[in-house]
Amino acid sequence: MPANVQGRLRQVEELTRSYARYSRSAGGLSSVLGGVLCLIAYFGGPLLPSMPLTRAVLIAIPAGWLLAKGWMTHHYYQRLGHVEQQETPAERRMHRLCVAVVLLVALAITAGLGTVAKQHSWFLPAGMLGYLALLWLLVLATWRWLRSPLDFIIGVFLFCQAALVSGGGYYPLVGTTHTHQAMLMSLVALMFPLVALAMIAKGLAEHRQFRILRQRLEQLRQSTSAEA
Amino acid sequence: MKTPGHLGEVMALDRLVHEPARLLILAVLAGAKQVEFGFLENMSGLSKGNLSSHMSKLETGGLVAVKKSFRGKRPLTELSITAAGRRALAAYRQQLAMVMQELPEPTAATKRK
Repeated sequence: MPANVQGRLRQVEELTRSYARYSRSAGGLSSVLGGVLCLIAYFGGPLLPSMPLTRAVLIAIPAGWLLAKGWMTHHYYQRLGHVEQQETPAERRMHRLCVAVVLLVALAITAGLGTVAKQHSWFLPAGMLGYLALLWLLVLATWRWLRSPLDFIIGVFLFCQAALVSGGGYYPLVGTTHTHQAMLMSLVALMFPLVALAMIAKGLAEHRQFRILRQRLEQLRQSTSAEA
Repeated sequence: MKTPGHLGEVMALDRLVHEPARLLILAVLAGAKQVEFGFLENMSGLSKGNLSSHMSKLETGGLVAVKKSFRGKRPLTELSITAAGRRALAAYRQQLAMVMQELPEPTAATKRK
């Protein structure tokens, strides 16, 4: 019995740990959705006609993704009950660093726009106010929801693209611009569709793992119910 | 009368942890930061009342922390293992391993049975 108990304890702990990952670091299908939305935002910004509807959709994408992510976690991946993942100290440090970086960038941009607004009797166009609002929503989202590195990169891109669209612009595609600044921006932005593809692959793998995990949890549940 | 070595180890097992349901609760909690009551109910197959009773004993013993709140209008109970709880579980595992080592091998006669 004791050897059995030892093995059983480890199994229960390991299954709980795997299940808990879906509260924080593993997204499954919500990661797939994030990747697909990232591709839509990346190509949609420059390729879709700039109409109010398309702009509204591009601006709403990050919030839509976060809502869908929360819904999937609650109603699918953590349907048996919420189990929060234990962060490692390294993960906690990384998350704090991400929040600090985003916060500093938001403060710097706000200060820059504040200086411009001051020169125009504190006037900022509506698009710029939207830009600022999305920037600060990004800080909130990073602190509250974007806890894995891939989630963070995708989230940053979705919010930044939404902020740019709100201000009347977008991340340009490589080869479609001629000024140095825009070319540099397009090269930096090129990493986002690549990360999106990685995110889709990761999400699909996590979803497959979850289906196996669900079966193992069900087996464990049945055996403990029979014993109880 | 002196107890044989292996019996002494058995007697030294932490009884608060040793009970199967409580052991299962601690093992589940050891794998996460915080666990909702419903998940434990699902995994343990215990009734709400029975689970609450074990939970209270573990909380009184300082091995588990219980947080009660509301999600909307629904009461929400979340549990987490304390540092003392982790230590108790680790110690229990060690004791169990020692018991295994010290228990005599079954003889051929008992194996045939």
